[in-house]
Amino acid sequence: MLNLAGYEAERRRRLLRDTTPLQRGIIRHLVLVLDMSFAMAEKDLLPTRYRLTLSYAAAFVREYFEQNPISQLAIVGMRDGVAVRVSDMGGNPAEHLERLRDLDGQDPQGNPSLQNALEMCRGALFHAPSHGTREVLIIYGALLSSDPGDIHDTISNLIAERIRVSVVGLSAQVAICAELCSRTNVGDDSQYNVAMDETHFKDLFLAITTPPVNRTKEQSTSSLLMMGFPSRTLAPGGTTSYCACHSKPCREGYLCTRCGVKVCRLPSECPACGLTLILSTHLARSYHHLFPLRNWVEVPWAEATRSIACFSCQCPFPEPPKPNKEKGKDEAPTKAPAKGVSESGRYKCQVCGNHFCIDCDVFAHMVIHNCPGCQSRAPDAAPPIEANGNGHTNGGVMVIDG
Amino acid sequence: MDAVDVSEHYEVTAADNSPSLLSIVLDTNPRAWAALDSSLSLAQAISNILVFVNAHLAFSNTNQVAVIAAHVNRAVWLYPAPQNPSATTTTKDNSGDVQMQDVSAETNSSSASANKYPQFAQIESSVFSSIQTLMAETTVQDLDQVTTQLSGALTLALCRINKTAQSLSSSDTTISNAAPVNSTAPPPVKGRIVVISVSDSEPSQYIPTMNAVFAAAHNQVAIDTIALAGDSTFLQQACFNTNGIFLKASNPQGLLTYLMFGLIPDTEARGSLITPTHDTVDFRTACFCHGKVVDTGFVCSVCLSIFCEPPENAECLTCGTILALGNYGAKPAVIPRKKKKKKKITNGSGREETGSATGTPRP
Repeated sequence: MLNLAGYEAERRRRLLRDTTPLQRGIIRHLVLVLDMSFAMAEKDLLPTRYRLTLSYAAAFVREYFEQNPISQLAIVGMRDGVAVRVSDMGGNPAEHLERLRDLDGQDPQGNPSLQNALEMCRGALFHAPSHGTREVLIIYGALLSSDPGDIHDTISNLIAERIRVSVVGLSAQVAICAELCSRTNVGDDSQYNVAMDETHFKDLFLAITTPPVNRTKEQSTSSLLMMGFPSRTLAPGGTTSYCACHSKPCREGYLCTRCGVKVCRLPSECPACGLTLILSTHLARSYHHLFPLRNWVEVPWAEATRSIACFSCQCPFPEPPKPNKEKGKDEAPTKAPAKGVSESGRYKCQVCGNHFCIDCDVFAHMVIHNCPGCQSRAPDAAPPIEANGNGHTNGGVMVIDG
Repeated sequence: MDAVDVSEHYEVTAADNSPSLLSIVLDTNPRAWAALDSSLSLAQAISNILVFVNAHLAFSNTNQVAVIAAHVNRAVWLYPAPQNPSATTTTKDNSGDVQMQDVSAETNSSSASANKYPQFAQIESSVFSSIQTLMAETTVQDLDQVTTQLSGALTLALCRINKTAQSLSSSDTTISNAAPVNSTAPPPVKGRIVVISVSDSEPSQYIPTMNAVFAAAHNQVAIDTIALAGDSTFLQQACFNTNGIFLKASNPQGLLTYLMFGLIPDTEARGSLITPTHDTVDFRTACFCHGKVVDTGFVCSVCLSIFCEPPENAECLTCGTILALGNYGAKPAVIPRKKKKKKKITNGSGREETGSATGTPRP
């Protein structure tokens, strides 16, 4: 019973976060820098630091494109004192995963060079448009960096090009990494973390897949982008034709809405006229970052009699305690429940007032991003601005975090 | 050496008896059903659906079913029927025990037929009584709506599937399920949602519906649709995204045939079958400014709102940001632009052309 309460508290703790709608950089350009130096052969993370990093990097690539479907990624490695290009800037996860798989055969060796890697990142991000973010994520196992010049010059150049750097360390804090992160993130030093064990490493690594908050006006130069939303079509009469992007014969494809060229895969840029072609569902996938679902509140026993089963999954709730027992001996052994855990096992959406169980609370906030109660009633019964418990729907103005 | 390892023989048998949970979302828009009445009435449709439900349950006794109505102004459970708080407090006896009850007393007596499998009878009575209550509560004003609360019904179905999956899996896997990482292991329950749609998609429900669709894809739940009438653009996209089946029923009176021949295989069986395909999927969207369906649009880089033309004063109608319009169509891409002379950067004080008005503040 105690274990269960602790488990529930842990799940709630992960859920309860600030749900103010913040302006976020949705169109991202990120370079993932992997340490491939001698330090990665250490076995303190199992099986080795290198192997674990590669498998988490593959998970990172998948999750990054799931969360940021209209973003770009490149991968750079640090070995033998130089930076090696693993994959070029691109929006297709399959390509990056293929290149990561090729790395599996190589053993980590040589010194890492932070400066060389950062200079290569600068080059890769040079052409990133101004409305997108420019980010670098470094996985750093070593405690040294063998640089050809003054790294402080490089840091100043990074700031001038508004590139933000995050570092996940694997062994111990390194002063230059802390300085690098804090200076490129407007003094915010939360971007440098050192992993304590495998799960912590994974948490830190995958936390970067959430789009970053725009802290200043300058980080958020906005522009209007022209995009095409092609429909999926079959080649007429069961024939095949070549796609313009890979020159491969294919039966189904998408026709560019401006020039009619056939591409086989989305999102992509039209090879003929340069129009960005995406699926409208790619845009929809990012909306929950912009309009997060509000946290639900705990329900005390006094209010608990209103419901006997979870609104969404119809699973029964625990019975309220007997009133006569509660007055007497029950007072002493009742401990204050852990913060964030509801004593009655019920959680309430403040907009629609329905009660839900912990599993539905976690599922609604982590996966579905909808309130089952708010979605299940008439739009005219609810004030439109509060629909879905999101606080702000499309009408709300996003806050820029000061 | 690995070739003589026999461990793979045991893995096959362990995987094949995971239960299948079928959630049916029935669109109960009264106006749309009235229009369909000549070919298929709602009562006929429900009895067809119940045959389909019974067929699903008959495959395996671990199979489960859930039925949800997407009505004009709300989404409600038809089976399992929602419990009423006042009803159970009265049935508590002195010792505090609750009497076993899953169907109300009057349906118990009526369904005591010896010729019917009790579970079939229980579902039937629950669906019939819930839908009668639902129709009795519908007012005249509700009839003006031509759309339904589809997003709510999908959300309820997904919550139910998630809860069932969690109750079947051990506690350590639920922790990994809660993490936002897409796991490649098969889920403990093969969930799918069959939507019986008769009405149009409601544009204001686009974001919640799509949230539900991505959650379904994340949990490997397939959304199948049988469209008897109406223009269900969102459901087409939902089926495409979740690898479900989209069936456009040209003859609604054959609903049972469509269900039994097209939608009876579960997500695992579909691997070995050729399922009905839908050649073209409409991926065009409605713009936020006029509600027009567009294939080429302008997207705000901050909030991703879609406009059919550049908005007035270059100000985003949704988030109010001033947007710089890129030089689209200013020059053909084949003519190279004249190069500007690059300013020399003097260690951070000079800035390259990044498009922003002022530099990032330095500490």
